[in-house]
Amino acid sequence: MNRIFFGAARVFVSLALVAALSARGGARSITLFAWTEYVPQPVIDGFTKETGIRVRYETFSSGEEMLSKLLAGGTAYDVIQPPEYIAEALIRNGLLMPLDFGQLPHFSNILPEFRGMAFDPGQKYTVPYMAGISGIVVNTAKVRRPIRGFKDLFSPELRGRIVFVDDGREVVTAALRTLGFGPNDIRPETLARVRPLLASWFSLIKLFDSDSPKTALLNGDVDAGYVWCGEAALLWNQDHRFHFVLPEEGYHMAVDVVAIPKGAPDAAAAHAFIDYILRPEVSRQISDAFPYMNPNGAARRLLTADQLSNPASYPAYHAPAEIFRHIPGSGAWIDALVTDLKNGR
Amino acid sequence: MQAWALPSESVSTGRRPGAGGWLLLAPMIGWLTIFVAAPMGFLLVYSFCGRDDLGRVVYSFTGENYARILDPIYLRILGRSAAYAALSTLLCLVIGFPAAWFIARSPERRKERLLVLLMIPFWTSFLIRTYAWIAILKSEGLLNGLLEWAHVITAPLDILYTPVAVVIGLVYAYLPFMMLPIYGSAEKLDPSLIEAAHDLGAGPTRVFLEVILPLTRPGIGAGVLLVFVPALGMFAITDLMGGARVPMIGNVIQNQFVKARNAPFGAALGVVFTLLFVVVYTWVLRRGARKSAGGGP
Repeated sequence: MNRIFFGAARVFVSLALVAALSARGGARSITLFAWTEYVPQPVIDGFTKETGIRVRYETFSSGEEMLSKLLAGGTAYDVIQPPEYIAEALIRNGLLMPLDFGQLPHFSNILPEFRGMAFDPGQKYTVPYMAGISGIVVNTAKVRRPIRGFKDLFSPELRGRIVFVDDGREVVTAALRTLGFGPNDIRPETLARVRPLLASWFSLIKLFDSDSPKTALLNGDVDAGYVWCGEAALLWNQDHRFHFVLPEEGYHMAVDVVAIPKGAPDAAAAHAFIDYILRPEVSRQISDAFPYMNPNGAARRLLTADQLSNPASYPAYHAPAEIFRHIPGSGAWIDALVTDLKNGR
Repeated sequence: MQAWALPSESVSTGRRPGAGGWLLLAPMIGWLTIFVAAPMGFLLVYSFCGRDDLGRVVYSFTGENYARILDPIYLRILGRSAAYAALSTLLCLVIGFPAAWFIARSPERRKERLLVLLMIPFWTSFLIRTYAWIAILKSEGLLNGLLEWAHVITAPLDILYTPVAVVIGLVYAYLPFMMLPIYGSAEKLDPSLIEAAHDLGAGPTRVFLEVILPLTRPGIGAGVLLVFVPALGMFAITDLMGGARVPMIGNVIQNQFVKARNAPFGAALGVVFTLLFVVVYTWVLRRGARKSAGGGP
């Protein structure tokens, strides 16, 4: 659902929590800074019930937003949930606290392919939360011809019938892939190369939505699009006419991690929270609510056959899939390019 | 638009506030200092700064943020935002004036009820009401369903995620802000003035143009400001109902602080945006003041 609405709702909830806390004379609490619609309320309630530690859940709706607010320093966060390339930027700039894996016994549940990934090669600072491979969703009741990749998606017949996540890095990467570049080949020269292709794509796209791209597909306002895998999985669960396709031009694995920023007020409580969500039965609860690819092997064994056969959550892909890396300066280049293109230039 | 001169008249009452007056003003002055003057100061400082690899503000002097604003693309976005805001303001005026007039001229009991109706939307969050519009305007939504059922159209109208949807959203959100000040002016208008105009031989058009319009001008002026200014900076409606496809100046500024992590450029845009507004406002104010000094229309 939408960041603004949930942002407002969460501000309200946090305020209510703060009020409740001060009334109780201050119980122990942590501040969690995570994506909207990503940490189920029962998980948070379960943690509080077991440990007595309250959780303030503050949200963001893009990795860049997370980084901006973290650096602005208004709130001291205990646990943050950045995407991998933001985590890499934080690590390189010395902004994360090394984790004490002695306090994280359930880390052993994490599958080997999700350990020591390029953004945190020593596996010192982060723990994977959920992963996924974004892809193309097609409403097969409306689109009869096969869609295999971006070239098929961006065809004139689908003009005004396409949704794309409102994420500059994703849309630029799709264009880089189509022209044969890698997902981390982001330089002013390659951006100049993809510009004409993106301009033609932008004229076909009906809307950009990162918060709930499935809504426009469900509402019938668009017939196809490029969306987060969890959204695609929910669409598939709702109606099997929404097919999920990994683009033939290429795809990348996205990994959202949990980490503790330097200066976290209560690192011990933060470790307790991270270990709690690594428990198989808790991690399964997260998968139930948000069907992304679960990196927790023990939790996967608890999932139903239906969950594991969801083509968007667990697609057949060539491992290891590439991941986004931190590219200094790319945020501003991409924003300038996308602003230009949205203005038809 | 000399109505805009009126705020200045009410300010210059001639008497300087005494100690008691300052005491009464203190909370307001404190509020303005902390939440308006200080943030504007930060914005001004940031707008001349650079940024590092992660987007943190670096305190080194540079003018490049302002140089970048001269790029025609940002001027075009500003122009487009002003056009949307102006169109929405005009529609609010055309729709809101007759309704506000009707409410003001209604008998006491009905007036109260109608005013409550005008207030009811404020009981619900503005974002939830915007989502309700999405449910109404979507392809398989209420509006298209109704029109198809009534055989007015055969294929669904494509309204959601278009500029039309943005204008609908803006007009809907700001209509009460136009109506309330107009209602205030219309209610105070002495009906005997209208009767006198009629008695002196003025037709309905002349009464409207030469009596009603000038006397409700303060309300219209306040309504125009209350609608135009926030509509210009709005970014939630353009994202939700416009599909984030055509950015407005509000979206561009928001993106600098969030997506692009370029706070200095966002600050520069904010400063220029504020200055432009001050310049236009002062110009309109002066023009209005000169006109009224010259004896009115």
